Amino acid sequence: MAEGAGALSRQDVEDFLFREAALLDDGRLDDWLALFTDDARYRLPIALDDDELEPALVDDDRERLAERVFRLTSTTAHAQVPPSQTVHDVHNVRLEQLPGGELLVRCHLTVHEVRVGGPEQVGLGRHRILPGRAEYVLRPGPPVRIRSKTVHLLHRELPLPNIAFIV
Amino acid sequence: MDLAAHELVREDDGTFLVHTRAYTDPGVFELEMRRIFESSWVYVAHESQIPEPGDYVTTSAGGQPLIVSRAEDGRVHVLLNRCRHRGSVVCRMERGHSHHFRCPYHSWVYRNDGTLVGVAQQSGYPVADRQALGLVPAAAVGVYRGLVFASIEAPRITLEERLRDVAPYIDLWVERSPTGEIRTTTHAHKLHYEGNWKLQMENGNDGYHGNYVHESFMQVVSRAGETSVDDVKRVRNTGSVVGLPHGDGFIDRPEGGMAGQFDYHDPRHAEYHRALSERYGDGRAAQILGQRNLLVFPNLYLFESHLRVIQPTAVDSTVVVMQPILLGGVPDAFNVERMRSNERFFGPAGFGSPDDVEMFLTCAAGLRARSVEWVVLHRGLARERAVEDRVVGGHTTDEAPQRSAYRAWRSLMSTETVDG
Repeated sequence: MAEGAGALSRQDVEDFLFREAALLDDGRLDDWLALFTDDARYRLPIALDDDELEPALVDDDRERLAERVFRLTSTTAHAQVPPSQTVHDVHNVRLEQLPGGELLVRCHLTVHEVRVGGPEQVGLGRHRILPGRAEYVLRPGPPVRIRSKTVHLLHRELPLPNIAFIV
Repeated sequence: MDLAAHELVREDDGTFLVHTRAYTDPGVFELEMRRIFESSWVYVAHESQIPEPGDYVTTSAGGQPLIVSRAEDGRVHVLLNRCRHRGSVVCRMERGHSHHFRCPYHSWVYRNDGTLVGVAQQSGYPVADRQALGLVPAAAVGVYRGLVFASIEAPRITLEERLRDVAPYIDLWVERSPTGEIRTTTHAHKLHYEGNWKLQMENGNDGYHGNYVHESFMQVVSRAGETSVDDVKRVRNTGSVVGLPHGDGFIDRPEGGMAGQFDYHDPRHAEYHRALSERYGDGRAAQILGQRNLLVFPNLYLFESHLRVIQPTAVDSTVVVMQPILLGGVPDAFNVERMRSNERFFGPAGFGSPDDVEMFLTCAAGLRARSVEWVVLHRGLARERAVEDRVVGGHTTDEAPQRSAYRAWRSLMSTETVDG
């Protein structure tokens, strides 16, 4: 990739993505939201093409994303009582320089989820694994900001249990 | 006490009770599949999913795999997805285009109307087998305004008779399109929960739970400045609930508008309002825009933004397909906004559906307390009134639609003879 003041190495990008994952896993969702630009999009599509007439699991603009965070941090969302504990693993990171200075990052994302509960409960006490292929468009900054995050979940076309946490 | 299936719904002395076993007993589930999902009309597909000859979708009814295809004759065929030879499914794709289905096992080939047209090395079979061994069709298939219904075994009544009371409300749902054209999106929100299918059946037209289960969503809407939590609660307490014959029923909020969802009444949509009025007249246009979460018993819900199909897979396992619908006769931007609004509440990652699904899980867990025999469904029983063939609830939070569904359930479950 191009050398220069704004150029990010793969290690820089990985450090950034690992920090993002840690914010999600630590439940620091307001700090996580602050990583996104004002014109950001956060998407979990079902269709592989970009047809806006098709439903997505998630198709958030910045405002909708703020609502998502608000719902999780400031309301009683029954689907998160008890809350999901997650581990976000980031791997297979590849970089591509975009015209205009932005960076396209493709990586794999595996989210592990557990909600604590005894065997008499239904839907709790399980380990769920949600793998996906992620694409980020990053503004190199500083500070680095996410202009879009799109995760194509491997299970996107299957009947899914709740995804009430953030992937 | 070992109750027969139809005794699991008990109505007397101002009470209305459903037995725990109705939700948890595999034997009851097996009977439901045979008596309700295989021997009465169920929804199987929307015509817009198979517009051209050769188009097909696969689905299931009562756990039986089905192909819904449009054949060269232009007709919709509903076929059991099972090779007549050794039982393999002949199609494994969710949707596609094919004029033939070839069994992967021994290469028997069927036309998309079910006719057996090819048998590999057929000299080993009597000639007559060809005609006798087509894919087995559903005993009855019917289409009403794009909704394809079928009954695998012969139904007791015609589709026309079955839909007589609910058809006017299906019409209103279709007429949200100024051209009366509804088409489905290709993809859908699909949910799976570990619980009985009737938990979803009871929930979609339940006006009671919203203020509690969806308080989180109301706070989101309130934060956005669209409306206050108090206002949403007030609207949720307007209107009524209606139970129709055959188990159908709906929440009836004539002023319409589920808070935080696409606002059809917004003056921005003046052109849409004009188109509706021109096509249907002012009075009917207003009626069209009322909110009705309509259950067509047992497995179809018509919501404004999507149709919802309940697919029971086991007594404690259910798939729900929330199939978004696009309106004909409106600009794409109108439908795009509807889709984004649909996602705000619905689907596995929406701000509403997951909280409903969580209640199905909490119920599935709680119903394991089988020492408590009955579920209580008589809210508003004393204040509901019969108007001709229907039951009108006294309050929008009353359980009149649920009772109508369970009365139909009891009636079908008490059918004396079961084939097979």
